[in-house]
Amino acid sequence: MKAALAIASRELSSMFRLPVGWVVTALFMLLTGTVFAYLILAPGQIASLRVFFAVSGWLLLPVVPAVSMRLLSEEFRSGTIEPLLTSPVSDAAVVIGKYLGGLAFLMLMFVPTLALVGILVALSDPKPDPGPILAGYLSVALLGALYLAVGLFVSSLTSNQTLAFLGTLFVLLLMMLLAFVPAEKLPPLLRPVLNAALIKPRIDDFAKGVIDLSHVVFFLSVSCWFVVLTTLTLESRRWR
Amino acid sequence: MLLVDQVHKSFGTLRAVRGVSFEIPRGQVVGLLGPNGAGKTTTIRMITGFTPPDAGRVLIDGDDITQAAAKARGKIGYLPESAPLYGEMTVRDYLSFRSKLYGLERGARRSAIDRAMDRCWLREVAGRRIGQLSKGFKQRVGLAGALLHGPDVLVLDEPTNGLDPTQVSETRTLIRELGVERTLLISSHVLTEIERLCDRVIVLAGGTLRADGSPRSLIDAAGFVARYTVEIEVPRTGGTASIVMALGRVAGVASVQIHEEPGIPEASGRSWGVFTVSPEAGFMDLRETIAESARASGLLVRSLERERPSLERVFMELVERDGLGETRAVARRSA
Repeated sequence: MKAALAIASRELSSMFRLPVGWVVTALFMLLTGTVFAYLILAPGQIASLRVFFAVSGWLLLPVVPAVSMRLLSEEFRSGTIEPLLTSPVSDAAVVIGKYLGGLAFLMLMFVPTLALVGILVALSDPKPDPGPILAGYLSVALLGALYLAVGLFVSSLTSNQTLAFLGTLFVLLLMMLLAFVPAEKLPPLLRPVLNAALIKPRIDDFAKGVIDLSHVVFFLSVSCWFVVLTTLTLESRRWR
Repeated sequence: MLLVDQVHKSFGTLRAVRGVSFEIPRGQVVGLLGPNGAGKTTTIRMITGFTPPDAGRVLIDGDDITQAAAKARGKIGYLPESAPLYGEMTVRDYLSFRSKLYGLERGARRSAIDRAMDRCWLREVAGRRIGQLSKGFKQRVGLAGALLHGPDVLVLDEPTNGLDPTQVSETRTLIRELGVERTLLISSHVLTEIERLCDRVIVLAGGTLRADGSPRSLIDAAGFVARYTVEIEVPRTGGTASIVMALGRVAGVASVQIHEEPGIPEASGRSWGVFTVSPEAGFMDLRETIAESARASGLLVRSLERERPSLERVFMELVERDGLGETRAVARRSA
């Protein structure tokens, strides 16, 4: 576990030693700030961050692959995977460390947005309802966790960062867009599975301020699943 | 102590390593030699636990590298080929990260890092980003990373590859120091390096073990006959033919060849020819006999050298015997 934390903290600090961490954070702030200033801080609007969380959710689609593409692909490309996997650390600890490092970066990226909450609370009357705001943060955290697990898995498949980015983006878009396909158009056999796997309805529930435990379990278990899958891929790579 | 027992490894249809076995006791510096694609890196990766062998086992001080992975890996220090490092980290941060991976406690960590940095002359660059360092420094950072936890077994894959001559000699000095207390396995395709550094040489070719022994014993076992190169004044009358005849009469000489025809006479009025003398098998050193016979025949010898058979010749012979000299590099990055 100590080793996993060491890997996580190395991963997190590397994000800020490289331009990618700063660029991603700055772009994210710019876009969410713009949305906040023009769509939320409008006279006559209800004090709610619903739009902000909806936009953040969509922004995570390109942001997460940009973070996750480095996690394992870069290790394969540069060969640093070799000293890492020959140290007395299990493959699972390596994967968990990588995952936690990426997750910590995503959480940190949201910290400056607390200022937006502060501004909204200060300027609006009546004050915004705290429930949907808490549920909103929980939803982007869970969404980020799931996306990142998918991204980590894809980055374990290739030593090419561009491919890892595009592959992850493609999978995530597919997962999101599935919600827009009318249910009756889906093959009947797959319908229950695909319906259960839909992400958007769950996020919409959070946006209403409802924290459904089954949704929380869904996000966490799918994330775990991909982390396990990544570990298996890493183990199998040793043989090749 | 390192034991490699009948390890096999295939990648698809390529049988990279086929039943290699050897044992290295503590305090021995061993060179792993072979042409590109001979299975050196694959063998090293099996030893260090990066890739599991298809068959056979590797024991580090009695611990199996796949069965007791964490324990066995903790006893090895490994510098992979071209020393892959995180370029964005500073030297100190990198070493601190490595020490955490090896489970060093906070107190021990600082002293271990300082010791490794002193050992590899890294003090002056402790706060610099690794990506900005020269290749020689990077190599030393990799080496420091491999030494941090005080491993009993040290495995270095091509440690002087791509370094300039000064860096090469510095690295060699360091390696010689390190070999005193440890089991040291160095892979290289630079033969002179292995010859200078190692007590013992293991030659791989085509995925199998071709030779194992001290550089001296390998040279002796190869049974090369040392040839002699003699530079002699060529007399005006008789010419080179008289010299060939005179030298051919010496006991123990099998044949004499003209290596270099005499050129234009020098300022002294003398002209010199160079001859190669091949001895019959069994004669140890013919230098004195050749010199004395030449004097007795009234010939003036300016230089007389006994060719030293090198590891390089042994190696070429071993590798080329089965046409493996042309083996193409099967560079398998883990991608």
